[in-house]
Amino acid sequence: MNGTVTVEGLSKSFPGTSTPVLDDVNLSVEAGSCTALLGPSGAGKSTLLRAVSGLEVPDAGRVLVGGQDMAGVKPERRGMAMVQQRPLLFPHLNVLDNIAFAGTVRGVPKRTARVDAAEFLDLVQLEGFGRRQVTALSGGQAQRVAIARALAARPSVLLLDEPFSALDPELRSAMHALLAELRRRLNPTILMVTHDRSEAAVVAENIALFSGGRILQHSSVELMYSRPASLEASRLMGGANEIPGTVCNGSHHSALGVLPLPCDTAWPTGPGILLARQESIEVSAADGAGLQATISGLQGMGPRRLVTLDAAGVVLRAEVPWGRGLAVGENVTMHIPTSALAVVDDSDTAHLYADADERPSLTSRGRAALTGVGH
Amino acid sequence: MAAPAVLVATFVVGGGMATSLAQSLGLFPLVGPPSLTVAAYAAQASELPAGIGLSLAIAAASTLVACLVGFTAALVIVQGRWCGKLVAALGTLTIPVPHIIGAASMSLLLADSGLLARLFNTGGGWPELVGGPWWIAVVAEYGWKESAFVALVVTGTLATRAVSYDETAALLGAGRLRRLRHVLIPLSMPALAVCATIVFVYSLGSYEVAWLLGRAYPEPLPVMALQLFNSATLTARPEAAAVAMVTTTLSFGAVAAAFAYLRRSTLWR
Repeated sequence: MNGTVTVEGLSKSFPGTSTPVLDDVNLSVEAGSCTALLGPSGAGKSTLLRAVSGLEVPDAGRVLVGGQDMAGVKPERRGMAMVQQRPLLFPHLNVLDNIAFAGTVRGVPKRTARVDAAEFLDLVQLEGFGRRQVTALSGGQAQRVAIARALAARPSVLLLDEPFSALDPELRSAMHALLAELRRRLNPTILMVTHDRSEAAVVAENIALFSGGRILQHSSVELMYSRPASLEASRLMGGANEIPGTVCNGSHHSALGVLPLPCDTAWPTGPGILLARQESIEVSAADGAGLQATISGLQGMGPRRLVTLDAAGVVLRAEVPWGRGLAVGENVTMHIPTSALAVVDDSDTAHLYADADERPSLTSRGRAALTGVGH
Repeated sequence: MAAPAVLVATFVVGGGMATSLAQSLGLFPLVGPPSLTVAAYAAQASELPAGIGLSLAIAAASTLVACLVGFTAALVIVQGRWCGKLVAALGTLTIPVPHIIGAASMSLLLADSGLLARLFNTGGGWPELVGGPWWIAVVAEYGWKESAFVALVVTGTLATRAVSYDETAALLGAGRLRRLRHVLIPLSMPALAVCATIVFVYSLGSYEVAWLLGRAYPEPLPVMALQLFNSATLTARPEAAAVAMVTTTLSFGAVAAAFAYLRRSTLWR
């Protein structure tokens, strides 16, 4: 089966809850791609994964895999496999028989299934572990076995529900590398739930950003950071700088002055909030060319520092590497590359646009506000 | 912390068994001087094989019925739907009913003058379920009562993990029957083995159901022991103790076999 996954108008509510867990979710994932379902806890990511797998029956909408409607198709017949946060290895089977499980239940002779399983065990770099009991595995090893077991089922779609969240950072990096290698060799379609932005960016090429049971934005990782579709999307992606102002002739006018916007996008004229990723802002000595600012705060962030800057009454944050001495109260020059800028609707002022009907809607919330005003 | 409970249990069980063993071997006579002898065992040697066979058959059949019904009920309960809740409620209500009440109810239900015979109005053609050659009412009573116990224990085991393993197996391509065979039954086996052992030992050693619902001859071991103990002949008491010791030995054998199985199980380790 072709691994293209399409979700159309999916909604799901649970008894006793006032708001739906999934609210008219639409998503399209190309075969062989990896999409991260990113969002805070309770956003509906795992419920979407369970609905796609058939473990939850949606109230409305449909799931198509390879163009085929999955309504009424049992989970065991959808050609999917899932790896969850807990490996859930069958405790009554050893490592090899766990991986051979899919073959065994398909009716493949046990010996053949085990030979096949041994290949997947090698693939996850656990050769020689076949006869071990699953209780004798470390957390990372158990998760590798869970991935091998899922892949041995030859799924057209691999569903990962926060599979690495219980692992330590070093092990997570190793698992990310393993997943990249598995993708290169087997190329399944992957839908991966995570609440970790960094993990989503490392593992996936696309991100579907969730909040309150809705998809706020679905785009490439690069666009998710550089062109957030709304203030909420920007904040969920960790954006720290929001400068209110007005867009006019492809530039943003604010207290910071006139900043040209990237010319690869047609920026609509009118009020808009300028977003500038803190990782892109450069801070240099006060005599350099750029915007003048004063450091009002410093905070360590491991290999980098978060510098709080006061520029013409606007508070900005920048992440800068260690190495250059910075002090609170010091005057510096900051430079914001044009490519790091984006403008989004201010949902509080969206209704002020005279040409609201003609503007492309940037957010689901913005669309609702505009529609409400329009009628 | 468990020491007081262990001490009390050891005193009661160990003391009772030691007294019975001593009495069965002539070391604790009601009259006369003690002397080591197997006369009590020899006196019942002709009756023991039939009693042992019958007791084992009743216990095995009761255990099988209780485990099959109880495991099925546990699967229904774990599904969590309304019928599962109904089965759980019925099981919970069954547990506190004493066996002797259960036996009386079974008699009123299954006897040739019972409710079912009257309902079906078979005109004398009702099978000998109570007091018949196949001890069906006895097995039915044990099976009914103990199935509730099995269901609740297995439900407790499955409730915490059955759903997640079941879903995992489903997504690996296993249909309902395959999941039952390859996941749910293996996961339940330790709990089932423990329950089966308890049911087997209980059915082997209790007398009231077989006494009320069984036939007069041959007698299962506990009924035989009770009749000998209540005999007008006081010298029959060592024979009652001998029969009780044979029953105890069989029970220990069953427990040892169960632990041998469980020690081999990866889930028990």
